[in-house]
Amino acid sequence: MKMRLIIASVLIPLGIIIAAVPENTTKPFRLTAGELLEEVCEGTQFVSTDEIADMLVQKDPSLQLIDVRTQAEFEKYSLPGSVNIPLSDLLSEEWSDFLDQGVKMNVFYSNGNLKANEAWMISRQLGFENNYVLQGGLNYWAETIMNPQAPKSVLADDEIAKYDFRKGTSMALGGGSMVAIGSKANNTPKPKIKKRKKKKKVAGGC
Amino acid sequence: MAPLIVNEIISPDTNLLIALLIGIGFGFVLESSGFSSSRKLAGMFYGYDTTVLKVFFTAAITAMVGMLFFSLFGWMDLSYIYVNPTYLTSAMVGGTVMGVGFIVGGFCPGTAFCALSIGKLDALAFVGGLVLGIIIFTEGYPLWEDMYKADFMGTPTMNELLDIPRGVFALGMILVAFAMFWVGEWAEKKFPREEY
Amino acid sequence: MSEVIKTKYLNPYVGGVLLGLVLLAANFVSGRGLGASGAIKSAVVTTVNTVMPSHAENSAFYTEYNESHPGNPMKSWLVFEMLGVLIGGFLSGAFAKRLKFKVEHFPKITSKRRLMFAVLGGILFGFGSQLGRGCTSGSALSGMAVLSVGGFITMAFIFGTAFVLAYFFRKNWI
Repeated sequence: MKMRLIIASVLIPLGIIIAAVPENTTKPFRLTAGELLEEVCEGTQFVSTDEIADMLVQKDPSLQLIDVRTQAEFEKYSLPGSVNIPLSDLLSEEWSDFLDQGVKMNVFYSNGNLKANEAWMISRQLGFENNYVLQGGLNYWAETIMNPQAPKSVLADDEIAKYDFRKGTSMALGGGSMVAIGSKANNTPKPKIKKRKKKKKVAGGC
Repeated sequence: MAPLIVNEIISPDTNLLIALLIGIGFGFVLESSGFSSSRKLAGMFYGYDTTVLKVFFTAAITAMVGMLFFSLFGWMDLSYIYVNPTYLTSAMVGGTVMGVGFIVGGFCPGTAFCALSIGKLDALAFVGGLVLGIIIFTEGYPLWEDMYKADFMGTPTMNELLDIPRGVFALGMILVAFAMFWVGEWAEKKFPREEY
Repeated sequence: MSEVIKTKYLNPYVGGVLLGLVLLAANFVSGRGLGASGAIKSAVVTTVNTVMPSHAENSAFYTEYNESHPGNPMKSWLVFEMLGVLIGGFLSGAFAKRLKFKVEHFPKITSKRRLMFAVLGGILFGFGSQLGRGCTSGSALSGMAVLSVGGFITMAFIFGTAFVLAYFFRKNWI
């Protein structure tokens, strides 16, 4: 009898406190707005089209391109070896293994910067790492890699070297012109990603 | 930051060691509270001994309040805690079948193990029954697979269902628990039984 | 109040707080609650996997279970936890001098009757715990602590049914 009163006098006030204070919604594993802003300002998420083109030519296995455009756009044209995760599906459970992993370098791309950057922001906010954005998106890709403009001869040597590289990659990646729309070499199956141990709810039950 | 295993503060093997230690604590507390006696357990349903009610609900509200405070202090991320999924049909049917098993057998699985550890042979019989029951379930699985998976509701929590803050629900539950304890102690006076 | 004096058991509220702390520790360290029947299921699945591997492959439940639980089923959290329960219960019983082989039953019924009912109850509980995805510890107690709707439903149905049926089985207990 007495013990009940003692325990009641401890637990009921605790219950009143917990009912009175707002729920703790902080998620310490996520970035704070300030940290995210810092990263955005520095633009560390961007990788250049040249870097990606180089990785593609080298067939770098750590590269995972992710097309965040709609499925229709993806089917029309996509970069080799990319998977399609439309921005609206970004948070679906199906893709969490792709996005939340520490093995591959995920590079989001869309037509321009906007959608890819949005995808990056969301995944970064969730605390996922190894996600990047293709700078300038497919438009810039087409401009720089697929249809590189010969630099003016007055430009520095490295510009010319860059042009040569781009021209070469363009050939290697079946470029020349972006009109190669119907070419469906892109039906690559989902690459198997070695799962990092997932930060997920542990198994339970009785 | 807890839970430790999810945040890779401890390894899976350490986790198993911890499981053993937690089990020891679990078994020790169950036995010390008298859960090793089927007559004490069954006493709850006849009002002569409401220990089960008291221990069970005190434990639930203690752990609940503890977790809410840990979350408040930022020590524990509740979004990583396993919340039992809710399958409406199987929870109700399973609960009913377990209720019958409880009053017939006088144990539940955890308490049966606990009673077994101090040499209660009726607990051994109960555990044997448990094994049989589980084999019946697994062997006949296709027969009740539909029921097992019916009415999946995800992992809702009571406060989400009622659409009230978690803390308010917790307070309500604490008050309900103490009201039940009061009723329980009244019942013990009303239906006394001699020493057993 | 009176029963607290006449038994040597821990005060139920103290026991409850301690049990709550154990449950809290389980959640703090491992992100999960307690359980019991899952350990037996692991043992059953392991036995079937070893003794009748072809049966395990052809039977829907074992295939599903083995797919969703990679690795050795015996190397699971619940199995270790239940080993701990046996040790912990034994220690407590040893300290309180309650270690004794006996069939505990209401004096007016025979041991045989008690054992038969225990087996029958075990079968029902075992079956129900699988259907309900957890027993009193795994689903009801741990579920309630995390405010799971399923936990509350299971709890209500276990205790509700037992209360309703208590009258029909009163000869066994009172």
